[in-house]
Amino acid sequence: MIFLVLAAGAYFVAVLERWATKGRFSLKGPVVSGLALLGRESLVPRKLDRIFFEAAPPLVLVSAVLAAAVLPLAPGLVVADLATGALFVNAALAYVMVALLMAGWGPDGAYAMVAGFRFLGQLVAYSMLIVMPITAVAMRAESLVTTVVVTSQATLWNAAYQPLGFVLYFLAAMAVAFLPPFDLPVAPGELAGGVEAEYTGWRLAAMRLGRATLVFTLALSVTVFYLGGWLGPVLPPWAWTVLKTLVVTAVMLWLGRYVPRLREADVLAWGWKYGIPLALLNIFYVGVVLLGAA
Amino acid sequence: MAQAVFTGSFGVAAIWFGVVVFRTSSMVRSALALLFSQAAIGGMFLAMETEFLGVLQIMMMATEMAIMAIFMVMYMMDPGGLSEMDMTHQKRASLAAGVLGAFGALAVALLAGWGPVEVQVPAATAQVHDLGIEIMERSMLIFETTGVTILTAMIAATAIAIQRRH
Repeated sequence: MIFLVLAAGAYFVAVLERWATKGRFSLKGPVVSGLALLGRESLVPRKLDRIFFEAAPPLVLVSAVLAAAVLPLAPGLVVADLATGALFVNAALAYVMVALLMAGWGPDGAYAMVAGFRFLGQLVAYSMLIVMPITAVAMRAESLVTTVVVTSQATLWNAAYQPLGFVLYFLAAMAVAFLPPFDLPVAPGELAGGVEAEYTGWRLAAMRLGRATLVFTLALSVTVFYLGGWLGPVLPPWAWTVLKTLVVTAVMLWLGRYVPRLREADVLAWGWKYGIPLALLNIFYVGVVLLGAA
Repeated sequence: MAQAVFTGSFGVAAIWFGVVVFRTSSMVRSALALLFSQAAIGGMFLAMETEFLGVLQIMMMATEMAIMAIFMVMYMMDPGGLSEMDMTHQKRASLAAGVLGAFGALAVALLAGWGPVEVQVPAATAQVHDLGIEIMERSMLIFETTGVTILTAMIAATAIAIQRRH
């Protein structure tokens, strides 16, 4: 059930992304382009680092699926309800960066390498904004268990309880999934596809699938951590989670459509100079509110 | 039994990746081999039912080793390993140091009084709670001192690295 939702979610992400970038809404679009990719020859660059080149696309997918495994769709509907769930999401997402570093280094191409190192260079700028807002979420729930995080929002969603953390996490999630305007590691038109530049055929299809799953997983994490997860009236719990996740995905893709790609130096500077202090402020604020309520 | 098999397999994987670190000439391969070696140690933690430590190890190493990859590529003269650079030097001294270190570690492992073996492992949630209490109470001074020391080192390193304006 969970993997079906994940697969359907990844497919819907592909449909939405197509709609956001090409302006055409087509339900069969991703099938057609996926089949086209599978039908094409998958070229292998000369003098490549074979292990990295082959391992990178599956690693993106594995990271996304592992992160999704600890995020609940409904009470009891979670692959692994770990005691360290919120931390585990971070751990799994860290390997997206490792995968892109491999994809950048592996094919021995200039564009890919610049893109891979670029994503790695921004690491602290976005990963701190994933970890620190989650810390504040865990503070309120007094637990790292993701299902407890959801139930802790029964009276008020975290998006309203700690709006600063929500905005920071939302933007950082877009950066982890390298969605526009943070699409620096693929950067179409500038780096000719970046980390995807040297991938063709089924390997590119695997990379795209991993990315679509990653976007869905991150939207799911926003839902679980900030939008009350399965909480909601009338509809069954899983339907609320899926619905909220799809809305978050749509907003993520829609935002990117209207903002130009940010400069790498700007992302770094803003992340370090404003993002991290604001995330610390958010932790402090949540702490004060919690102590005030206690 | 299964626990011993998993712990052992992750241990062997950790050692194997550790060997790979020195057998490759590519700096990125070397850094990532070290990452997988450390992640395998995280796997050992998980197999030994210390969930928090395992997940933390797997998470921290991904970022730390990737950052190390940047520095290795920046500062080594042959990051791609294309011109047959030899990764090893001072072979005799390092062999001696390695053997000595191994015996030292073995001696600690065998001779130290580890106390009675915990038969009943605390639940994963209890472990997270107990670790938090430990860090915030008894070990707070150690962690705070370490944190401030590392911060000081970072600021000092940055200050040294910045070029003086004349």
